[in-house]
Amino acid sequence: MKWILIVFSFAITVIIIACGGDTQTDERTTDAKDMGVEQREPDPRGIGEVTNVDLTDPLDEDMIRRGRQISDVKCASCHHYDTEERLVGPGYLNVTNRRSPEWIMNMITNVDVMLDKDPVAQKMLEECLVRMPDQNISLEEARELLEFMRYNDEKHAGERDGGVL
Amino acid sequence: MTKSLMFIGSAIFFMIALYSCRPPAPGAAATGDAASRVYVPPGEHDEFYNIVSGGFNGQISVVGLPSGRTFKIIPVFSVNPENGYGFSEETKPMLNTTHGFIPWDDLHHIAISTTDGVHDARWAFANANNTPRVARLDLTTFNTVEILEIPNSAGNHSSPFITENTEYVVAGTRFSVPFGEEEEDVDVPIETYKENFRGAITFISVDPDDGEMDIAFQIDAPPFNYDLARGGKGISGDWFFFSCYNTEMAHTLLEVNASQHDKDYIMAINWRKAEQYVREGRAETVRARYAHNKMDKATHMASSEIKEDVLMLDPTEFEDIIYFIPCPKSPHGVDVSHDGKYIVGSGKLAALIPVFSFEKMIEAIENEDFEGDINGLPILNYESVLHGEVERPGLGPLHTEFDGRGNAFTTMFVSSEVVMWDIETLEIIDRAPTYYSVGHLMIPGGCTAEPHGKYLVAYNKITKDRFLPTGPELCHSAQLFDISNGRLELLLDFPTIGEPHYAEAFPAELIKDKQVRFYDINENQHPYVTRGPGQARVERETEDRVRVYMTSIRSHFRPDNIEGIFVGDTVYFHVTNLEQEWDLPHGFAIKGANNAEILIMPGETLTLKWIPDRVGIWPFYCTDFCSALHQEMSGYVRVSPRGADVPLTYSTGGR
Amino acid sequence: MRKIGLTSRILVLVAAVAMVSAYFYPIWQIKLWAPQYPEGIGMQIWIDRLTGDLASINKMNFYIGMAEIDEAMFPEFDYLKYIIGFIMAVGIVAGIAGRRMLMNIFLGLLVLLGIGALVDMYLWGYDYGHNLDPTAAIKIPGQSYQPPLIGYEQLLNFLAYSGPDTAGWILSGSALLVFVAILIEYGVFRRLFKRKKS
Repeated sequence: MKWILIVFSFAITVIIIACGGDTQTDERTTDAKDMGVEQREPDPRGIGEVTNVDLTDPLDEDMIRRGRQISDVKCASCHHYDTEERLVGPGYLNVTNRRSPEWIMNMITNVDVMLDKDPVAQKMLEECLVRMPDQNISLEEARELLEFMRYNDEKHAGERDGGVL
Repeated sequence: MTKSLMFIGSAIFFMIALYSCRPPAPGAAATGDAASRVYVPPGEHDEFYNIVSGGFNGQISVVGLPSGRTFKIIPVFSVNPENGYGFSEETKPMLNTTHGFIPWDDLHHIAISTTDGVHDARWAFANANNTPRVARLDLTTFNTVEILEIPNSAGNHSSPFITENTEYVVAGTRFSVPFGEEEEDVDVPIETYKENFRGAITFISVDPDDGEMDIAFQIDAPPFNYDLARGGKGISGDWFFFSCYNTEMAHTLLEVNASQHDKDYIMAINWRKAEQYVREGRAETVRARYAHNKMDKATHMASSEIKEDVLMLDPTEFEDIIYFIPCPKSPHGVDVSHDGKYIVGSGKLAALIPVFSFEKMIEAIENEDFEGDINGLPILNYESVLHGEVERPGLGPLHTEFDGRGNAFTTMFVSSEVVMWDIETLEIIDRAPTYYSVGHLMIPGGCTAEPHGKYLVAYNKITKDRFLPTGPELCHSAQLFDISNGRLELLLDFPTIGEPHYAEAFPAELIKDKQVRFYDINENQHPYVTRGPGQARVERETEDRVRVYMTSIRSHFRPDNIEGIFVGDTVYFHVTNLEQEWDLPHGFAIKGANNAEILIMPGETLTLKWIPDRVGIWPFYCTDFCSALHQEMSGYVRVSPRGADVPLTYSTGGR
Repeated sequence: MRKIGLTSRILVLVAAVAMVSAYFYPIWQIKLWAPQYPEGIGMQIWIDRLTGDLASINKMNFYIGMAEIDEAMFPEFDYLKYIIGFIMAVGIVAGIAGRRMLMNIFLGLLVLLGIGALVDMYLWGYDYGHNLDPTAAIKIPGQSYQPPLIGYEQLLNFLAYSGPDTAGWILSGSALLVFVAILIEYGVFRRLFKRKKS
């Protein structure tokens, strides 16, 4: 009787080990599913390296100038400056009043993750249907773009930084 | 009488047996687990880059090993409508020669740059056989970036082989021809071959920093056919070896008349000495026109310059530049072992493979152990230079590569097999049939000082029944063998693009992390770049020349509505791709363009020339499925009769 | 003159009439296989002509200096059809007349034809394989290329086969039939049968 027990428990061990292997595969598949929509409380800062932005006052002229240069080359094809109206993506107007500076910079520098996981970004993708391209913009350049957007809001909307948390 | 019956019976049996006793055909099967050994799982990378010549398609294929998957076709000497190479205004100068624009050539051999005889894989060199040229490819962009025409040459076959530190790329002529500065030098009766024809061997210098090529000097060698070449390595690093056939100097019916000598030669050139004599000013400057085409990294534009003269070295004026090693019989390949000690001549009509010893060659030179001379250039004594002969290796030996473990592998064209033999003992270890008629072979690093003796690829000329048939014209093929177990194990057959001749392979790690992913738009110095949509515009430059400064980004062109173009205008579409993301090219094509499309990489500017031939509305569109709204990425040009009252206007989205 | 029985007469007649196949089917065949020619290339020798992949064979043989095969090489084509016709006529006469002597002559002629053909083939093959062009591209000392008379032989990278083709087999069959008839007429089978019985 004893040896039957031994064999039995051995068999169970084997099955468990075998199942262990399966679990690993399952994990991988779950990972793949994660790439899709994820239901979670949205972080108003978005997802990415940028967790806190120190805004300067008054605006930095040099940063505005550099930000405008980058925007003219890499962004203006798809975004109007002086309106909220959509060209390919939404216009710049009021972006600093709608979104936190962290969210804006994360959207610029971490586009693909934002479009895959951030609910706000995802909602905009549903409207625009074109994924915002990763224009290979550094954190420093993103900060300059942000400064240009703040300037842009001040000029065309009369107010800026309404989205600061 | 039983005997008679038995006789009848055995006669019948004999007849049946006669039909059924055919010896078994050589086996064609791969080993059992071959599939798993060439399987690269989805998402994983191959171990080696394999850079493969395309022969008569004038292109190079980039293949992964061991999977045999083709990743890219790089246009080199041939136009490529797929990406506009040779059609776009930027790339047209790459194919310029002293004969004008040539849209095709026959690309036979590859050389991957080396340092100390080991692949550094910064550049790939390739030869044009028909209109002699040598090209350089940048292996961070996998683009052709330079093409140099070779004057005084015809049939640039023994090219583009390199010295161990890529100091020089050589270009030896397969067809000797007369050359000279005056017309009467070259307008000679063909039957005066022996007196008037000359065999130019060109040494092309390579800038160690940016790879730029230039003709350093040419050697005025006897009018033989210089078939293939190899640079020495290590102890033989100062030497270059060329195989010579048609030492009969025949000029007609070569298949008979150039096969008469029992021995032709391997020509050994001491390039270090030749270089020194050139530096001492002992070469003559002779007039020889050739084109030098370069692709500028910053402007993305090619330029073509015609140069006027070369330095010519007469080897008969020096005693120590050229020596001839007798080699049976019409040698094709000449290959140097990884340690530089042995030189293998593959006499394609010979029934053996001679292996020469570099050390013995030096000894014979020192002892003046000569058996004759050619125009005063010494012929070394065959026996004195010989390390030994591989006996009965097969039929039609062509090319040899090395595994770095003391084994050599030679292709046999006529008997259609690869033969593995020991370099020291010259004994045959293994042989494997190829399907069919193998030409070149390649071991990753197999021509360098550091072979990666894991795989061997044989490149076959004939496939016949090996793949699904496709009418009279069939693909050529490659066969992958595993040689890591000291024998030849067939793993995989795969079809190839064009007609591969030579190929090389190197570990993917060497370059895969150095790949350019896109061009920085801010560093784009193209004279007609459009840096941002704000600069997009259309300008009428002259009466009938219009320049469109156009941007492309997902998913529109700017401008996308253009009016005020007239029939017969020359319209240049300078399209700048504003994307800054890897793998996001945009294409551009317009109805009625009699050239091709252009495929613009992120951050790049390319130009398509278009001359509208009739009045109407002409759509243009993006040809590369770039995004969900790719089908929307299009626009219109309105073409009016010349002189019509239509102002030049352009817009996008009404702005 | 001895007469022969009905069975033998039929056998002889069938043998003679079957010989007509020599005018409609190839008599001899030569086949070659090489790695590049897994399906093989072949040549058929008819009563008065050659067919098959002559061009391919000649092209390959050129490299080793073998002469070009063409019909002019075989003067036999001029008279072979008459010889076979004559033998056939002898056979038919033998069958109709039912004379044993004629039947014996018929077999004799058939055997002579066979031996003659083989000797002729051998001599041609020897000359073809040895008489090489001294200017050939590939010369291998001591190597000759004589095709096998009958059966298989490896010649460099080629496996060569030589043997009868359809009409050749039928001619051999004819000879066999006449041979059987002769055995009957000389009582061989009867004696054999008797011995077994006792």
